[in-house]
Amino acid sequence: MKFISKENFKSFVNALSDKYEIFYPAKLNEQQYEWAKWENNKELSLEGFRTILPAKYFFYSTRENLTEKAKKETIIFGLRGCDVRGLELLKKIYLEEPKDPYFRTDVLIFSADCTSSHRDCFCTTLGDKPFAESGFDLNFSCLEEGFLVEEGSERGKEILGSHSRLFREATELQKKAITDKRIKIEEELKKRSEEKVLDLQDLKNKIEKNKAILEEYGKDCVSCSSCTNICPGCFCFLLCEGEENKIRYADSCQFKGYARVAGGANPRKNLIPRFANRVYCKFIYRPEAQGLKGCTGCGRCFSSCQGKIDFKEMLLKIQM
Amino acid sequence: MDPYKGIKAEVLSIINETPTIKTFVLKPEKEFSFSTGQFIQFAVPKVGESPFTPSSSPLEKEKFEVTIMRVGRVTESIHNLRKGDVVEIRGPLGKGYPLNEFEKKEVLILGGGVGLAPLRSLLLTLLYEKHKYNRIVLLYGARTPIDIVYKNEFPEWAKKGAEIYRSVDKGDENWKEKVGVVTTLFEDVKLNPDNGVAVVCGPPIMMKFGTLKLLQIGYKPENIYLSMEKNMSCGIGKCGHCGLGKYFVCKDGPVFKYSQIMNIEGIWE
Repeated sequence: MKFISKENFKSFVNALSDKYEIFYPAKLNEQQYEWAKWENNKELSLEGFRTILPAKYFFYSTRENLTEKAKKETIIFGLRGCDVRGLELLKKIYLEEPKDPYFRTDVLIFSADCTSSHRDCFCTTLGDKPFAESGFDLNFSCLEEGFLVEEGSERGKEILGSHSRLFREATELQKKAITDKRIKIEEELKKRSEEKVLDLQDLKNKIEKNKAILEEYGKDCVSCSSCTNICPGCFCFLLCEGEENKIRYADSCQFKGYARVAGGANPRKNLIPRFANRVYCKFIYRPEAQGLKGCTGCGRCFSSCQGKIDFKEMLLKIQM
Repeated sequence: MDPYKGIKAEVLSIINETPTIKTFVLKPEKEFSFSTGQFIQFAVPKVGESPFTPSSSPLEKEKFEVTIMRVGRVTESIHNLRKGDVVEIRGPLGKGYPLNEFEKKEVLILGGGVGLAPLRSLLLTLLYEKHKYNRIVLLYGARTPIDIVYKNEFPEWAKKGAEIYRSVDKGDENWKEKVGVVTTLFEDVKLNPDNGVAVVCGPPIMMKFGTLKLLQIGYKPENIYLSMEKNMSCGIGKCGHCGLGKYFVCKDGPVFKYSQIMNIEGIWE
């Protein structure tokens, strides 16, 4: 574990910007952060919580011409634990053989612990943490005087190595301060869910038996696809013919035509089966097929929902 | 390797099967081999791409065939292709029929309408090494005699050793065979479900009632093989479109044992 002072962190970012395009979570207001491109001398704060949009769109685009493109080397600062976990699932899907050559594997992930939370966040309700435990190149934890930095990959280690003069070993006191901070934010989140934690195995068994609850919440869905677009664990797309090559569009299982086949047959032409499919996918199908759940508890789906469907509340009700 | 890039294939000839179904004989620009039951993505450049299972024997190396019914935008443009046109194909994709599981067994092939396309590929493959299988039985149903695909090939298949039973929902004055839905053919044939496998492909409703009939006469769910039709888009297990429960049909199928999917909701829709 390394430490970097605030002053040195500025130099670190400046030095990296020679080679890399850098993105970070810029604060819009008390409840919103958005991804911004770092420019010279801008303050790069890692305080706060998840951004409005997930980080997944740095790795593939909502509309993409599938041809070789020159890529600028990129670093994303400040992905939260939820985004990192979402990317773990996406990597499993996109990078399983045959690999998707257009899903970016070169983007460096410099995650950061949440220091506060959005009102819709519920990662702890899923048993997850408001910080990343793996899946990052470097992880940053905020201290008053700077950051603690953890290496998560060879590439992360190399970058630290090549800027080693800016870092020093973290003290036990600093490590303890971070542990305390992490506990504090976890407690804050847990309190918001009245200390309730979902038993995911039990939830899996109960989901299909509690159709009435899926119906109760699903009836307010307007199939707008906000929830899937904004979800760090949703990965679906549609491949189309372009002028020269294939084009990929982000797609959503919430659209009526999503599962329709030639001739018109459609297993999910009705609203509730579509709504239920999303829940099944997150908590049954992906855990069974990929070994990872499709929900990271970021709560973005609720934040963006036109029907104000409270997914956390629904999951807790199913579990009850 | 870019799995989204296909290879070119030339349309060598086109066979009119029925008023709405054509078989396209394609010559790929480079070597292309597949296992029977695997599928391809067939693209009309700049128009669209759709999944089909080759209907010819995989033993033929120079060319292969796909049999396509005109039902939508992409198949419409495929039907407008002419001899000499060039299309793009990706594949082979998915898993084919597990032929080794059929060995020393009675193989029942149950097909409906254009669903005979992948089954024809299977049938030709089985007949080539007929000695490996105890018996090969084909039950085929179509709506009317006009809707029967591969009309001229049945005698040849019979000569090679397939037992063939056919039905149409609605006959005409020349039709001497069975009239009724395909499951009525089970009345005419003695089968051995205890040492047999059944392979089913056809429209969803026929798949459903065909499977129920097979279960009723004693086939075990693990001995019933279904070719599932879903709207495969990427074809390599990434885009999510062909999700069937935890499976992606393109990667884990398109052939499934009924026992794998029997508890998934809406499989017949």
